Amino acid sequence: MPTQRFLIDRYDPADDRAYEQEFSVDYEPGQTVLDCLNIIRWEQDGTLSLRMSCRHAICGSCAVKINGRSGLACQTQVPAAADRGDPIRIGPQGNQTVIKDLVVDSHKFMEQFERAETWLQPHEGQEPPVREYRQDKDEFDHWQHASTCIHCGACYSDCTVAAVDPKFLGPAALAKAYRFVMDSRDSRKQERLEALSRMHGGIWDCTRCFMCVEACPKDVLPMDAIMELRTEAIQAGVTNNHGTRHHKAFAGGVAKRGRLDEATLPILSAGFGPGAIPEMLGYTPGAIRMLKSRKLIAAARRHGASKEGRREIRRLFDEVADEKHHHDVNREAFGTQYAEALRT
Amino acid sequence: MKYAFWPGCVSRGAAPELYKSTLAVAEHIGIELVELEAAACTGAGIISDGDPYLQDTLNARTLAMAEQMDLPLMDICSTCIGVHSLAREKLGNEDYRARINERLAPEGLSYSGTAEPRHLLWILLEDFERGALNHLIRTPLSELNLGPFYGCYILRPERVLGFDENPHRRNSLEAAIELVGATTVTYDGMTKCCGFPILTTNKTNSLTMAGTHVGEAQDKGADALVTPCPLCHLNLDAQQADAARVIQRKLDLPILHIPQLIGLAMGLEPEKLGLNRHVVDTKPLLAKAGF
Repeated sequence: MPTQRFLIDRYDPADDRAYEQEFSVDYEPGQTVLDCLNIIRWEQDGTLSLRMSCRHAICGSCAVKINGRSGLACQTQVPAAADRGDPIRIGPQGNQTVIKDLVVDSHKFMEQFERAETWLQPHEGQEPPVREYRQDKDEFDHWQHASTCIHCGACYSDCTVAAVDPKFLGPAALAKAYRFVMDSRDSRKQERLEALSRMHGGIWDCTRCFMCVEACPKDVLPMDAIMELRTEAIQAGVTNNHGTRHHKAFAGGVAKRGRLDEATLPILSAGFGPGAIPEMLGYTPGAIRMLKSRKLIAAARRHGASKEGRREIRRLFDEVADEKHHHDVNREAFGTQYAEALRT
Repeated sequence: MKYAFWPGCVSRGAAPELYKSTLAVAEHIGIELVELEAAACTGAGIISDGDPYLQDTLNARTLAMAEQMDLPLMDICSTCIGVHSLAREKLGNEDYRARINERLAPEGLSYSGTAEPRHLLWILLEDFERGALNHLIRTPLSELNLGPFYGCYILRPERVLGFDENPHRRNSLEAAIELVGATTVTYDGMTKCCGFPILTTNKTNSLTMAGTHVGEAQDKGADALVTPCPLCHLNLDAQQADAARVIQRKLDLPILHIPQLIGLAMGLEPEKLGLNRHVVDTKPLLAKAGF
């Protein structure tokens, strides 16, 4: 029987004491990290607290940090987590308060679903169907990845924005919101897109770090859902926000010069209303430091693609803008991406 | 060795020291770079916010250019490598690729799906005989403790970055630090986000991220950070003083680009690598390293 060492983050609320404790477990090949945690608490230390239930990666209870990355203990084979002779480090989920050992208070995570109103809001005056609200396969295939969430919290635990901002809705709630935005049975697509674009912690606060995509044990691809929400919002005309201005200014610069235009981007992103003034002033100290290191001059020189390059890039911008059904093209490509991801 | 070289926008803009040091190191180690002067910005995931199809079209064009030149494609930016790799994944769909190739046809370009973007950091570890680069290390940086800072897109999503076939890519920065004879300082923030993508939309969150990682590395004894991403460099170096104000602590940590690290250890002059063009002063670091 192989032996594996575990280094577990313990926390005892009775005396507010946090410490690491090492255990050694003899395990059968094929056993998971969760099996080993159970062996520890059943045979070695009954005071170790953790959440678990189904042991089949469907209830979402046993998400913990395994060597610093969040995932389901029941879905992780011991050799996959073991690195040479080092102990496997186990800790509670991040971005939430620890209650005891590996058990966190998940209220903050769950509250985000309420804020994002992630439930069906059917069309008014619609008679409830006798059996169920039907959905066609093509549409369902497009967003079904986002409906497979098991609310384990692994994505939220590794989210780099949630780490600095408790108001961020987080990957899971935003992916669930996406699922209702894309579902034609829901009546509030436009209102949802407006709220998600406007609210603190909405779609424009994601930093696109892909942590959630890596952490998710069910291939929900939360970040991809957030990115598609941005596209949906812009295409639905929800454009009076910083994120859209940034997108438009960025794309505008590339259309003109073929390259990012660092000189005008911050100005155009801030917009031209009175609210833009403090934001522009906020850039001044950074600009002065960059001036001293001659970086600002470099940025202001406004490098561009070659003349022929610019002409071709401009042509692509114009042609793509003219192309009909371009929304469907996006969907076609997104579909591919999800299929690829789910295959791996 | 010869590469189709995509410098990215930032190395031709606010981080000219990256461009300069890349050319200096390439010349020194004997690789020839043919710059893709007609190529477009990758869109950085920002053009795709409103129009993923347009962003994919621009990147298919860049990949097709490398194919037409029959040269491997080299990026020097984590964001570029990520966006190119994501576009390549989507272009794996034949219908989608055919549709985009129609747009590229007037320019005489077509992407077959084979050209694969690689970062300078990977190329250094993959295209040289074992030991060939060690041989060029003239001034090992053995006095320095260096923290890796990857930037998101050279690590995630793993499925598009060839990690299964090239598992060393997971620890490429540690390998580069070992190559130059310095000591790696590990810390939680080294694989996290620098915050740059939300600098204009949520400055406080963005700079809290940057400041936290710089502070953590500093507390763990790092003399500098090394990054393969010029956008991370902007947030960690140019914005460092503002980040320090946001998280209310003292920060003073130079941030090196990959070719600067390699070039220094190969005995190239710091000025030739643009180390005098940083916002955070690199002189104390250079003194410690013996320059």
